[in-house]
Amino acid sequence: MGNHASVLHCLRDLGYRVRVSDARDDLSEVDVLILPGVGAFPKAMEELHNRSLVEYLQEQAYLKKPIIGICLGMQLLADMSYEHGVTSGLGLIPGEVVAVSEHKWHIGWNTLECIKGSSVFTSSDKKAFYFNHSFMYGGGAEYQMCVSNNNEIIPSVIRKDNVVGLQFHPEKSQGPGQELLNNLILELCDA
Amino acid sequence: MLKKRLVGVVIIKNGWAVQSFGYDRYLPLGKPECVIENLDRWGVDEILVLCIDRSASSLGPNFKLLKNIARLGLNTPLIFGGGINSVKNGIDAIQLGADRICIDSMLQDHLEEAEELTKHLGAQALIGVLPLSISDNDLKHLDHRQKLNSKISNEHLNEIAHVVSEILIIDWMHEGEKEGFDARLITDFPMNHVPLIAFGGISEHEQMHSLLALNNVSAVAVGNSLNYKEHSVQKLKDNLMHTSLRQSDYESKHTLLNDV
Repeated sequence: MGNHASVLHCLRDLGYRVRVSDARDDLSEVDVLILPGVGAFPKAMEELHNRSLVEYLQEQAYLKKPIIGICLGMQLLADMSYEHGVTSGLGLIPGEVVAVSEHKWHIGWNTLECIKGSSVFTSSDKKAFYFNHSFMYGGGAEYQMCVSNNNEIIPSVIRKDNVVGLQFHPEKSQGPGQELLNNLILELCDA
Repeated sequence: MLKKRLVGVVIIKNGWAVQSFGYDRYLPLGKPECVIENLDRWGVDEILVLCIDRSASSLGPNFKLLKNIARLGLNTPLIFGGGINSVKNGIDAIQLGADRICIDSMLQDHLEEAEELTKHLGAQALIGVLPLSISDNDLKHLDHRQKLNSKISNEHLNEIAHVVSEILIIDWMHEGEKEGFDARLITDFPMNHVPLIAFGGISEHEQMHSLLALNNVSAVAVGNSLNYKEHSVQKLKDNLMHTSLRQSDYESKHTLLNDV
């Protein structure tokens, strides 16, 4: 479940050829897999299971295929979530997904703080991006590339090898979002 | 820290973007797509498209319009509302291109349906719409389908607050009036932990400054006045530079303009 249209248009604006598909044959032909997501964790995992994509994505991560998860798509990369009960995730980046505690939601524009020295995200440091979520990544600091602050620290970019999670919506973050997404795809494809 | 937001509102009636005055007088603005594209270009923080005739006419959501909007490839978050009265409607709206949805009559008629929608989309995707007014010191809710204005109980507000992430408070009586918004709709709102979006009769930056200073206001929504002049969003944001609003990023894609 996700807002495919927005991601599709954003990537096409950036000059990429894009396919929206749940068919393994299609997905295996692309350079980068993007997992967008709007919705709740259990329903999204159910949809991935229904399409037999859980094992497929795990295999692709093992084979170092670049994978980018956006918003809920980032949370699905983790081991498990506590949203509406306990649900197993894809387990591509170690960690749990927990409720945003300080406020019930994190909705709107917030800035990124890069915490891992020089990286593909450095040029996005202090720029504002659009967030819309009520759960967040609660895993190890070693996987957190950027954070945002809303009276609590919210991991906004996580990474393990070629698997990257973006808690915000780059496709809806105007110029800074397009720039970050483009830089990230170029880096992942060069890696 | 999280920024407060300036939401650009496009009211749709009979498929056309209109200016709305007090929920009973309308002036055409033109094709919705053109108005929405302008807001996207100008750098509002969210765009709210509200189809005001869908619930009253039991027409369901205007998905044809939503598909056309999705084809624009907006870079700005899109909130879509009007006629969403089932879980399927809500999911379809998100899959067709909305980032968040507004629900109104569902909150009054089928609250359990709204709860189910929350399980599918997460409450962060849902905004409750409440057209309110104050009379005899009471908060009154307008059921625009039946033109009934009645007192709204704290219990019902509490139930609504459990299924949505924010509430869009519409000052329907002063909608379209310059500086008409009645701030008591915010200050007298009984639940101060619920993030509120103020809309209706908001046009001047001083007024926005006052509203954005209130803790429970997460956004101000502006409709008609944004369409009166070019670059109105930039001008408003310049005047609100010292508030917690995000400053927009205005980078021209046109080299000629960049060279000026």
